[in-house]
This record gives sequence, structure tokens and C-alpha cells, in this order.
Amino acid sequence: MIFTIRIAPVSTEGVNLHSEAEILAKFIREETGYSGPLDPEMDMLEAGILDSFTIVSLAMFAQEQFGVEFEGEEIVRENLAHLSSLVALVRKKQTSGGRAG
Amino acid sequence: MELRRNLQRFLSPFREFGLLAGALYAADRLLRPLSPGLGIYCYEFMVQPIGDKALLPPNLAKNLRFTEIGRGHPAVDAMPARAEIKSSRFDQGAICLGAYRKDTLIGYAWFCFKAYEEDEVRCTYELAEPERSVFDFDFYILPEHRMGIGFLAIWHGANEYLRARHIRYTFSRLTRFNLASRKAHAHLGWKRVGRAVFFQAWKLELMLADRAPFVFLSTPGGKRPRLRLTPEKLTAAAAWPSGDVR
Repeated sequence: MIFTIRIAPVSTEGVNLHSEAEILAKFIREETGYSGPLDPEMDMLEAGILDSFTIVSLAMFAQEQFGVEFEGEEIVRENLAHLSSLVALVRKKQTSGGRAG
Repeated sequence: MELRRNLQRFLSPFREFGLLAGALYAADRLLRPLSPGLGIYCYEFMVQPIGDKALLPPNLAKNLRFTEIGRGHPAVDAMPARAEIKSSRFDQGAICLGAYRKDTLIGYAWFCFKAYEEDEVRCTYELAEPERSVFDFDFYILPEHRMGIGFLAIWHGANEYLRARHIRYTFSRLTRFNLASRKAHAHLGWKRVGRAVFFQAWKLELMLADRAPFVFLSTPGGKRPRLRLTPEKLTAAAAWPSGDVR
């Protein structure tokens, strides 16, 4: 009824999104309303862009968008606070066939 | 330069919390160093719906388990609250629900049914619909699980636990100045249902609230004010847009 976390894929139609980082950045901007620069190495938690809720929504979005599946143990600051680390995790999952079910 | 920095520091609570709450925050900061018996507690009462859907997808919830942590459990000793506070929670019938990943405690939340005896100030919160609501407090995520799955994991388990008991709403008391908690919980659809300010001056405690009894002066061992919490704000807003919390 209420607690649906929106993980619908971002529409990339007509948008020049060349990389996973750009797709994730678009999601973050839409979710948080943040409009400043999003450097892949920026700590988005420290910068106050993500919080303890949006960090998990971001992971869930990445799962859905890139067809991978994370383990609960991977939902940690080290993997999610920076766009670069999240992209690295996604790529690792993609190459290791991390899609379950 | 120094003057400018001090001015910025002085103005920052007003910018963050608004004029009134900022003034209360500043007054509290001035009073605390004078005596441990002086302080101002600025509270907001929130109600949060217990949704029907799981918060986490099965793959992320896979290794999580949720269990009641009873009196005498070693995890209780490790909790940061004072021993007598934890004991009084069990005395008033509170339930502590622990969230574990495999065998590691991630965090916990406490729940009281019917009413909650506040332990920071003298006040009792009464639930107007005790068969459908609880009062949650001391929502705690162990530091190493903050900014990870911790927050949603605990609420995932808490929702499951409460849903099974036909609970539809959970109330809580939020310190007005806890912006991080406010921001995170806002995603879960909570609404403010009331406010109260407590002025402590050694043994005297003056409460001002937006509901009966509105004003109450209490002393140790005397009567405590009772604030009745109702979920009407939430039920009034029940035309939630298409099941999306944002």
C-alpha cells in the first residue's frame, strides 16, 4: 500500500547516458532533488546527498536497472557512498553473473 | 574574522530550525553548562504507517532475522542506555525487537503497547487506538551498519513484526533538532501529530504542549502529564498517492 520504494528504471530515451555512473547520477538527482555536481569519487553520504534510506533505494535501483542482484552484506558504505564504487560493484556482479533468480 | 565566525555559529540553529526552535536550541545550549539540572527538551510526536509491503526485496532480506530481545539477554547489557532505564522499559511491558544479519546484531527498536512512560522527561504518551498502534522508541543502528542496510533492515523487520499483530501505526517522539532522523523517516511516510516542550529546572519540570493538558508543572514522585496521541493526521492523509512514499 505505502512503502513502495520506487525503483522503476530511469528513462534513457533521448538522453545521452553513456555510462552506469550517469544513469545512477540521474536517479540520485531525481530522488533527492540534488542539483550540484556529482563527481564519481565524491562521498555522497558525507556531502549529505544520500541518507540511510536513499542509499538503499539507490542500490535497489541499480539492481533493477543493470540486472544484477546484491547480497545484503554488500549494502555497505564502502560500496555505495561513491558512484565509482557502486559502478565497480555493478560491473563485478555483471561479469560474475551476479543475477540470481 | 573571529566575530564573523561566532555570529555564524550563533545564527546557525535559527537557520536550521527556525526562529522559535532555534531560540529553544540556543537557550538549551546556554543552560546545560550551568547545571545538569537545567535543560530544554523540544519534542515532536510523529506517526508512521505500517505498510503492507516488504521494505526490502527478498535478496537483500535473505540473511536477516528479527527476534525479541528479552530482559537479561547479553545484547541488552551492551545497549548504550543506562541499566535502570532498560529495566524500567521491561517493567512497563516494552518489547525490544532485534535485527540480526546471520548472527550479528545490526540494531534494534523498542515498542510499547497502549502507553509509553517517557524516560527523558516526566510524561506519559497514551495511544488513542491501542489495538492498532504502538509507540516506538530508541531506534538504534550499530555504528558499523549505519549508512548501509541498517535503517531499512530494522524497519523491514519491525513492519513485519507489527503487521503480524495487526498494528497499522507506530508513534514516536522525535527531538526537534534531530534532522538526520527526520529526513530518513520522512521516506517512510511519517507525519507530525503533536509537539511539546519541557523546561527542566532541577526538580521542577514545566511542559507546554499542543494538546491537553497543554500546560503542566510536575515534580518528582508527583503526577505526570499524559498526552494522548491519535493517528488522525495520517488517516486524514490516507489518500496516499499511488503507493509511493515520496
